[in-house]
Amino acid sequence: MAKTKVYVGMSGGVDSSLAASLLVEQGYDVTGVYMKNWSQDLPGMKCPWADDLADAKRVAVRLGIDFKVFDFEKGYKQKVVDYMIDEYKLGRTPNPDIMCNQEVKFKLFLDAALADGADMIATGHYAMVLNEKTEKLQSVSSERLRAAFDKGPGALSNSGCRCPEEAASNLSAGVLLRAVDDNKDQTYFLYRVTGKALTKTLFPIGEFTKPQVRKMAENRNLVTAAKKDSQGICFVGQVGIREFLSGYVDLKSGDIIDKKTGKVLGRHDGAIFYTLGQRHGLDVGGGLPYYVVGKDMAKNEVYVASDLNHDSLWLDNVDLAEVHWINDKPQVGDYQVRLRHRAPLVNAQLTFSGNDVKLKLADPQRVITPGQSVVIYDDQICLGGGIVI
Amino acid sequence: MIKNFIYLDHAAATPVDRRVFDVMLPYFSGLFYNPSSPYFPAVQVRRDYDNAKKTLANLIGGKQDEIIITAGATESINLVFNSVSGHVVVSNIEHHAVLNCAKKCPHTIVLVDGRGIIQVEVIAAAITPKTQLISVALANNELGTIQPVRDIAEIVKKERMDRLKNGNKMPIYLHVDASQGVGQLNVNVARLGADLLTLNSGKIYGPKQVGLLWAASFVKLNPQIIGGGQERGIRSGTENVAGVIGFAKALELAVDHQSFEQKRLATLRDYMQNNLIKAFPEAVISGSQKNRLAGHLHISFPGIDGERLLFILEDRGVLVATGSACAANKGTKSHVLEAISISDEIANGSIRITLGCLSNEKNTRQACKIIISELKKEYERLRK
Repeated sequence: MAKTKVYVGMSGGVDSSLAASLLVEQGYDVTGVYMKNWSQDLPGMKCPWADDLADAKRVAVRLGIDFKVFDFEKGYKQKVVDYMIDEYKLGRTPNPDIMCNQEVKFKLFLDAALADGADMIATGHYAMVLNEKTEKLQSVSSERLRAAFDKGPGALSNSGCRCPEEAASNLSAGVLLRAVDDNKDQTYFLYRVTGKALTKTLFPIGEFTKPQVRKMAENRNLVTAAKKDSQGICFVGQVGIREFLSGYVDLKSGDIIDKKTGKVLGRHDGAIFYTLGQRHGLDVGGGLPYYVVGKDMAKNEVYVASDLNHDSLWLDNVDLAEVHWINDKPQVGDYQVRLRHRAPLVNAQLTFSGNDVKLKLADPQRVITPGQSVVIYDDQICLGGGIVI
Repeated sequence: MIKNFIYLDHAAATPVDRRVFDVMLPYFSGLFYNPSSPYFPAVQVRRDYDNAKKTLANLIGGKQDEIIITAGATESINLVFNSVSGHVVVSNIEHHAVLNCAKKCPHTIVLVDGRGIIQVEVIAAAITPKTQLISVALANNELGTIQPVRDIAEIVKKERMDRLKNGNKMPIYLHVDASQGVGQLNVNVARLGADLLTLNSGKIYGPKQVGLLWAASFVKLNPQIIGGGQERGIRSGTENVAGVIGFAKALELAVDHQSFEQKRLATLRDYMQNNLIKAFPEAVISGSQKNRLAGHLHISFPGIDGERLLFILEDRGVLVATGSACAANKGTKSHVLEAISISDEIANGSIRITLGCLSNEKNTRQACKIIISELKKEYERLRK
């Protein structure tokens, strides 16, 4: 039988380098792919992705695998960059990484790879997937999970009324599982991926911790073994988010107002730059630290409070819109949710209101920002999530 | 990791010669004085600095006060272009420094021929009554092709005479960027017929970030870095004494060894070229083979990914370039290869080998063997 052809997204970092290496060892027919995403054109400057591309290619060459560059600049600009700018304009704090996974890596890349002859794709995400290719995942042994996988989509819900055609064409939807490394788990960024895409996906490093990954990369003499993890939003690169956005939106300075007293405390250079809970970068004098507790985009006003325990910073009810379920809509009940990448899981009761989700958190949580995502888990399984309204 | 690389990229950077290093060393600590200070040890340093500049001037047939020390060729080129306001003429295979500077002036970019050689008539045709500067490289950094600088100088001279007759007061200068090829070609300014000449220490076994601009006495330069008035006020800043001492020694050695080194490198290069062509008859040599720097070999292997080959060879301890380093960074075809209209397949499959002082018979033969065996493997992999 011909080997399974896997196209692995290689960013030039240690995670995807090791992912590619492991796939080769596992006997797959591996092709490395560098995804060229949109980057701001800075005249006279060396393009920021050149070194990453070179590193990715260098690793691919050492592994003796094919290497390709897929150009997603246009799609990335439309789906990720423009989305981010639009969200900021609406006064929200978007998460472009989630959009990048949903629209680029697990849509454009998956489709392009399959069209190019791949059977599956792989990435260096810290996550695990259960599908017909991933055999043993010792860390996850719950019977429920196994049953879910065997029965295909719908198994995780009680709906159970799918039409037979759909079930047949869509057998064994992949199940997304949290990575072994709690500290690195990236399922928060992956919750908008479809179960169908996951049937064609491998996450080779999800069962290892970051230190293990570095060690394994070092043992394999991968040149990227000691490379620093990338920080921040990839396409913004060396310029900060502030400078980046100022190229796209008209900035108007406005007032920073004390929420309690209504007193103007200072000026800001554009309300879009401010995020709920933010403490630093507020140009207000005085000894006390202030926190952003709200803003009014129409009035271009930012509201602050010096009280860390200000009511608007702590919430126990969260409403989510644009809800996405990886497999099927879960039942009403008790689940765990993650409010930010790397934030600890917190218990929550889930109910529905039309298409939206209502979460009642077991304990109030600080700073739940509109535009950010809340991801819902059933133990190890990442069910999906939605965007805070 | 292999420690002893075989270095085949002398056009990108060269190691500092031991003799250069030795003469520089005292100026980092014992003779650290500011050449502008009045006390005797500083005066001594000033004297050494001036002597080094004199050496540099003598080696190119110029005068000491016609030389501005810069931080390399890019700065020299910027200084040239910042000193003109009229129309400029450059070729389409010039270094990015020249092309990007030219684009800030009214400019004409002339096309080279398929061998990567500037056509003198094309330059002549591009000159207008408003042309103030013609800037060409003595040798191209990617292809190693040597340009007909003396013939271009004749055109400039003729134009100058015509302007004198016609009462056109616009001056016209010829700037020669001789960064590549110094150790292999004669760089006497009178012989070249240049009015401005750029040299780079980092390419001739001297320290990096040192270069010079020689300008004939009738050329008026605009100060580019304003400050304490060093380098005749054109380029202020405390002198890079050690760098200039090293640069002078490096140029001295380059000129001394020029004819010997030229023959030696040509022999090694020809060995490499012949063996590669014998093993891969479909390989393509780009650029004129007649007018080419002795250590230069730009060769393409159709169907091969040159960058992939670079990484394979790096893994086997052989360092080569693809096209030019700057072009490799952008992931697109280099402007030089574009200029000589070679196909994408040939461009993608190209590597640049530049031999130099680190090259000898033994490591050239060894490198040749490695390149051939890795290329065979790569062709084999592609067939599968």
